[in-house]
Amino acid sequence: MSTKEQNERIALLQGTLDLLILRTLLLGPAHGHAIAKTIEFNSDDVLQVEQGSLYPALHRLIKRRWISVEEGTSENNRRAKFYRLTAKGRRQLVVETSKWDKLAGAIARILRPAEQEGKS
Amino acid sequence: MRRRKRMLEDLDQDIRDHIEMETRDNIERGMSPEEARYAALRKFGNVTRVKEETREVWSFVWLEQLLQDLRYGVRMLRKSPGFTAVAVLTLALGIGANTAIFSMVDWLILRPLPVAKAEQITSLALQEISGGYSNGFSYPDFEDIRDQSTAVFSQVAGVQPWEMDGLSTEGRDEPIWTSYVTGNFFETMGVKPALGSFILPMLGRSVNDEPVLVLGYSFWETHFSGDPNIIGKSVSINGHPVTIIGVAPKGFHGITPIMDTQGYLPLGMARVTSDLKSNFATDRKSAAVAIVARLRPGMKLREAQPALNVIARRLSAQYPATDKLAAIRVYPLGPIGPPSDPTAPNMIRLMGAFFMILAGLVLILACLNVANLLLARASARQREMAVRAAIGGGRSRLIRQLLTESLLLALLGCAGGIALGLVSSHWLSSINLKTVIPVTLDFQFDWRVFAYAFGAALLTGLLAGIVPALRATRVNLNSVLHESARTATAGHQRTRSALVVAQVGGSLMLLIVAGLFVRSLLNIKHSNLGFDPSRVLNFTIDPHGAGYDEAQARDFLHSLLHRVRALPGVETASFATTVPLGYYSFGMELKIEGYQPPPGHGAPSAGYNAVSPEYFGTMHIPIVRGRGILDSDGQTSARVAVINEAMAKRYWHGENPIGRRFIKIDDPKHPVEIVGVAGNSRTRNISSPFGPYMYVPFAQHYETPVTLQLRTSLPPGTMGHEVVSVIHSLAPAMPVFDIQTMTEALDTLNGLMLFQFGAALAASLGILGFLLALVGVYGVVSYAANQRTHEIGIRMALGAQPGDVRKFILKQGLYVVAAGLGLGLLLSLAASRIVGNFLVGVRGTDPLTYAIVAALLTTVALAACYIPARRAMRVDPMVALRHE
Repeated sequence: MSTKEQNERIALLQGTLDLLILRTLLLGPAHGHAIAKTIEFNSDDVLQVEQGSLYPALHRLIKRRWISVEEGTSENNRRAKFYRLTAKGRRQLVVETSKWDKLAGAIARILRPAEQEGKS
Repeated sequence: MRRRKRMLEDLDQDIRDHIEMETRDNIERGMSPEEARYAALRKFGNVTRVKEETREVWSFVWLEQLLQDLRYGVRMLRKSPGFTAVAVLTLALGIGANTAIFSMVDWLILRPLPVAKAEQITSLALQEISGGYSNGFSYPDFEDIRDQSTAVFSQVAGVQPWEMDGLSTEGRDEPIWTSYVTGNFFETMGVKPALGSFILPMLGRSVNDEPVLVLGYSFWETHFSGDPNIIGKSVSINGHPVTIIGVAPKGFHGITPIMDTQGYLPLGMARVTSDLKSNFATDRKSAAVAIVARLRPGMKLREAQPALNVIARRLSAQYPATDKLAAIRVYPLGPIGPPSDPTAPNMIRLMGAFFMILAGLVLILACLNVANLLLARASARQREMAVRAAIGGGRSRLIRQLLTESLLLALLGCAGGIALGLVSSHWLSSINLKTVIPVTLDFQFDWRVFAYAFGAALLTGLLAGIVPALRATRVNLNSVLHESARTATAGHQRTRSALVVAQVGGSLMLLIVAGLFVRSLLNIKHSNLGFDPSRVLNFTIDPHGAGYDEAQARDFLHSLLHRVRALPGVETASFATTVPLGYYSFGMELKIEGYQPPPGHGAPSAGYNAVSPEYFGTMHIPIVRGRGILDSDGQTSARVAVINEAMAKRYWHGENPIGRRFIKIDDPKHPVEIVGVAGNSRTRNISSPFGPYMYVPFAQHYETPVTLQLRTSLPPGTMGHEVVSVIHSLAPAMPVFDIQTMTEALDTLNGLMLFQFGAALAASLGILGFLLALVGVYGVVSYAANQRTHEIGIRMALGAQPGDVRKFILKQGLYVVAAGLGLGLLLSLAASRIVGNFLVGVRGTDPLTYAIVAALLTTVALAACYIPARRAMRVDPMVALRHE
């Protein structure tokens, strides 16, 4: 069933996006657009995040109380929502990061031998 | 929820701001405004989808889906009102029966006493060294226990719980059931008067004997029409003037809540109005009061027991002649009052459990029925399910939706069941138990009953729905969507047949158990008593209450017997001090030469009844050896006794006991010679094994009140008046009460009341289960016949005769019924091991009951098959073949 595969891909992407948001907010509170820009800039535009998908992710993180939201003024003096990492979110970031490292390591270990075998 | 709303409110603005910022960034990078906005939108993605996804983060998906399912379920149920009606009715019957039974169990076992902190109320029982239990304490013992147990009990009250007195109000006489209580009784129970005040607390050690009366609430309502000015009114109890000082609160029935205590008098008053001996306050031998005690706050029942053990030891050391206490035991006071023998199996609990099981079985049968109906619908809805699966409905989602439907049915059934339960428990409450005692059948629905009904409904919905839901969703899309629906139903048919087999089996078991129970009750009533209650009329008279001394009383009783024997229609007349299965019984400790009690058993003892000659003739108790009581066994002649077979067996090991002697511990100077052996008969309770019992001549053992018993050749009910006028012509002031036939007298809690009630209940549950099985068998066979209309058409077109078709359809029904019967017999045999424990005079495997029930069920099941078979027989081949 195709829908199922799609779901899994989205789930992976969501988790990753969550992690990126948390990491970005570690530098300090930011509003939505700034978060999107930071992610794009820091990843040298490799990660072309569809900016809209930021919002469901932000709300998910709020619901889990990993980030909090507060009113503030943006750099051009407009009212905007600022998202701030909570203590819980900070702890979660550590967990998620180490998870990600493990995952990345595992995938790397799987992919490298596979590459070598493929070449030989 | 509020967070969700606030977050979503701002979402639109947030998105707009975001896009605007991006647009401005783009303009700064040199794009034209239009271009910049377009690029920003593209980068953002689908705005609507983003909003939707964000909203979903906050939504309770399952709740929304549940509402969706409910709406859909309601629509589906409304679309097939016939199905819905049958299913709801079936469930309502099942749940209703359960709720009604549970409301009784609730009342008999679960519901606490209607008093403050009911869990603190306990009752005491004393265990004698001889091993017997009693809840009658002597008054001095009561005082000692009260004074020595202050560490564990905050209040200890003494009660004579159950007396019948005569109440005279302005020339009107009526019986009143009273309790004689110590002054702190109401304080102990923790109830406040509805009107007036209660009997004053005891002062010091004096026994309260003020002539005052507190009325029970319902008695006040029914006999004094709830007169608010009743306080201070003067009435008389057994001819003694008393003043009404208060009314007990509504719903408080005394210490035996299932029987309404109609009036409360100070314990000391029992000396003048009742038969309490005048020296009761100092006599350690009498069994004057039952004890109820309130635990101190925070004190547990088992923490109180050691304190009572100490008191019991102390009392038996201090008064070895009278206090032969092995232990004083403390029990919670339940709705049926203090148990006289707490070690005996609690019949009410057993019966409660038994009926809950029967009712549960009925509910299971109802579940099976509804499961069957749902399965039938599932095959009709197979296409719908296949389509829904094809357009992306996950299986779990489909199952959830089907379960929602069956739960919806169950909840509707629950509402109907509660309504039915209310009606039937109202009916049960209003049953006339034909007892003289004021039984309060109070099956009101409290939260426990509603919780039970709701729980039962949820369980039913799941049980009835799960199999059909699993089956309905296990569809092969291709086969259903491409082929005709007809061929895909074989699996359903198998499941349905299996359900009907279970149903027939379950009903057979239910019917057999109910049948065994009813038969055992009939046995108890007719053959197991050991005496013949029919045409025996009882009158309890109290010469002591009329002011007679022993000699006067003897004279009076002698001439009374003479006079009533002369009445037309009287065959024999005798009197006795106790009535079998009545509210009190006597027992005494014996010394038997050469008898060594086996280890662990106490000294020999026996229950006894003091009777006049002819007693055995009146009661039709057979003398199996020796002789009965004779006129010559007078006051001055040698002491004699007639013992029952159980006593002969226990103490003389089956040797001929005639001529043997024993000594009554109360009267060691006069050894008693055994002159006869009588057949065993029921004396204290209906179901436990016969214990040692003996009959002594009334002439040698004077006690009041006595019960005059007549065996009549006329219907006993017609003679009451005449006999009372004979009594009053001899002694105008003689109190006469408990005028009832022996059959009526058996309607006591010790006797048959519960059993009769039980028989009626078992029978109704059996019939209910039977009806459900009938509907089930009919449903499955007629449905199968319908499904096969096409096949039948082909057969008939090929030359099958209508008779063949009928045979074919009937055969199908027969297989199902036969398999069900087989299963049912196995289940019943398994159940009979448990049920057998409380059957009397009939074995759990009684072949007659099995045969009758099986035959009945088969006949009716076949009849249920016959109707669809006939219909199938009439099928027009042409119509059938076109039938799709």
